[in-house]
Amino acid sequence: MSIIQAKNIYKVYNETHVPVHALNGVDLEIEKGEFTAIVGPSGSGKTTLLNIIGGLDLPTEGDIFIEGTNLKTLSSRQLIDFRLHNIGFVFQAYNLIPVLTALENTEFILELQGVSKKEREKRAMEILKTVDIADKRDHKPGQLSGGQQQRVAVARALVSQPKYIIADEPTANLDSKSTEELLTLMKKMNEKFQTTFVFATHDQRVMDKARRIITIEDGKAVKDETFER
Amino acid sequence: MKSIFKIAWRSLWRNRRRTLLTAASVVLSLTLALFMRSMQFGSYEQMIQAGVNQVGDLQVHDSGYWENQSLDRAFFESKNMDETFKDVPGIKNVLPGLETFSLASYGKQTKGILVSGIDPSLQNRQTNLAEKIIKGKYLTKPDEVLIGDQMAKFLKIDIGDSLVLLGQGYRGLTAYGIYKVAGIFHLPSLQMNTSLLYMSLTDAQNFVYPYQAGLLTDVSVFLKSQSDIDNVKKALEEKLGKKYEVIPWQTMLSDILQTIKVDNVSGQIMLLILYVIAAFGIFSTILMMTMEKRKQYAVMISVGMQRSKLIAVSVVETFIVAFLGILAGLIIATPILFYLHYNPIPMTGDMAKMYLEFNIEPILPFSIKAHVFLSQTFIVLGLSLLSALYPIIYLSRFNVLNAFRH
Repeated sequence: MSIIQAKNIYKVYNETHVPVHALNGVDLEIEKGEFTAIVGPSGSGKTTLLNIIGGLDLPTEGDIFIEGTNLKTLSSRQLIDFRLHNIGFVFQAYNLIPVLTALENTEFILELQGVSKKEREKRAMEILKTVDIADKRDHKPGQLSGGQQQRVAVARALVSQPKYIIADEPTANLDSKSTEELLTLMKKMNEKFQTTFVFATHDQRVMDKARRIITIEDGKAVKDETFER
Repeated sequence: MKSIFKIAWRSLWRNRRRTLLTAASVVLSLTLALFMRSMQFGSYEQMIQAGVNQVGDLQVHDSGYWENQSLDRAFFESKNMDETFKDVPGIKNVLPGLETFSLASYGKQTKGILVSGIDPSLQNRQTNLAEKIIKGKYLTKPDEVLIGDQMAKFLKIDIGDSLVLLGQGYRGLTAYGIYKVAGIFHLPSLQMNTSLLYMSLTDAQNFVYPYQAGLLTDVSVFLKSQSDIDNVKKALEEKLGKKYEVIPWQTMLSDILQTIKVDNVSGQIMLLILYVIAAFGIFSTILMMTMEKRKQYAVMISVGMQRSKLIAVSVVETFIVAFLGILAGLIIATPILFYLHYNPIPMTGDMAKMYLEFNIEPILPFSIKAHVFLSQTFIVLGLSLLSALYPIIYLSRFNVLNAFRH
């Protein structure tokens, strides 16, 4: 069964009363454990699609199902709760909470989920070790490099073992070495935990690692390729 | 909850200088407000105290006397009443009095006056009347009177001269007598200086009703503590019964209370200006903090934090700044106000003279009553929390995607 099912998705933004058609009937299914990249030129609609898949936005038309749950039927509060328990996020600009340490940032999701302090510290430390940043546990984001911050962001996304992880241009702000390390790490997590990853990216290095590449152009999925990697 | 406080606390200290400046604006406004209100309420308390020293915290009359102040509503002092005053706890002392209107004549001049019969020693202890004598001496012998300087001027009478009084006595009698002017006083009120005559209570009783001793129109009751006024009033009313009325100072000094009310409005306007300035200081910081953290809010909501928790973070941030400012403000202002309360600033020159004329000690008093501190603290806290409305409204309408885009 697919984890993510997008059926005939349309998204129209009514900015300054001029309708902008960001998505024009996208159909998509993503299975558990996939390592998928959504690619396309700027303005093609890949971030809009990612936002809809991530439950941050809702389609104007069509339905988005996550393991059978139609996100359109959820209230704003339920949607936030759904994201908390099902989806991990990795953002382009890392977007860690600046006042919390690496450990606290990683624990944050677990704390929102109501996990006990002892349990969340244990799980957060395990994942920080996995992403090889445990020695920086007490550092705040400002004291970490971009690559280190993105590792913490990955740890934060993974710690609650979500059904899938959404990553919008996760390598855009990283140098080559950090990009390579991050991609290797995410691939490792994908293989180790069978975590589903969905990226929106321009980065060829990400595309080179992806086992599936969906190309979006003018709000439509124009190509869907799978690779043995 | 712990994480809400942790995020709020750390967010505040991320920009230490801004937080301290905001707290400083709270400190300044609270300190200034406390000084203003303490001084204002201090002077009100002083005015009230001066008035209460004259009339008493409570006055006991025959029922209906306050509305219709006629000698027909006088009463005879009784053992029962004396015992009641001894029995009711909280009473410091009582001052019996007898007041009536009369004509005063000397030579070719005649004038309508108010005769006030007093217990000379008790009255002096309570009101320092002897100190107001500007010519002659205080009451020491029978058939002596004290008159105001304006009355003396009008009647062209002086110390040692004999004054004829003629008026209506109790129960339709004609009251008359000849009295020697022992002293001339000067009180703050022109009306009192023109129309008031003091004589001993015994002389006054003999003047209006020589056939039975102990006639009174009022008994002023002075309390150990003004906070007991309601209890004492209730106890007196219960014990004395419906034949008597017990009037509190608030009714007797309604004109002073009215003056205070008017003056208080001007103080409140000044405070309002101060509060508006302080509120803008706090609000601008909250606004900056909110705008600065748009992206952080977007991330937090994205990863699953409910808006209500984010709102709680903002409210806690505001509360912490306000609390720190209030705490520092109280720490600064309280010892100074306590010092000034116990060591009031003495006034000199014309201002001091004016105060003395109104029978008020020439000092700048400061109030340390709890309500001064509590009211200002809660107002400043309320203003601060009012500023938190902005992030509450902002976050409840917050659009995550817009925040990411900008």
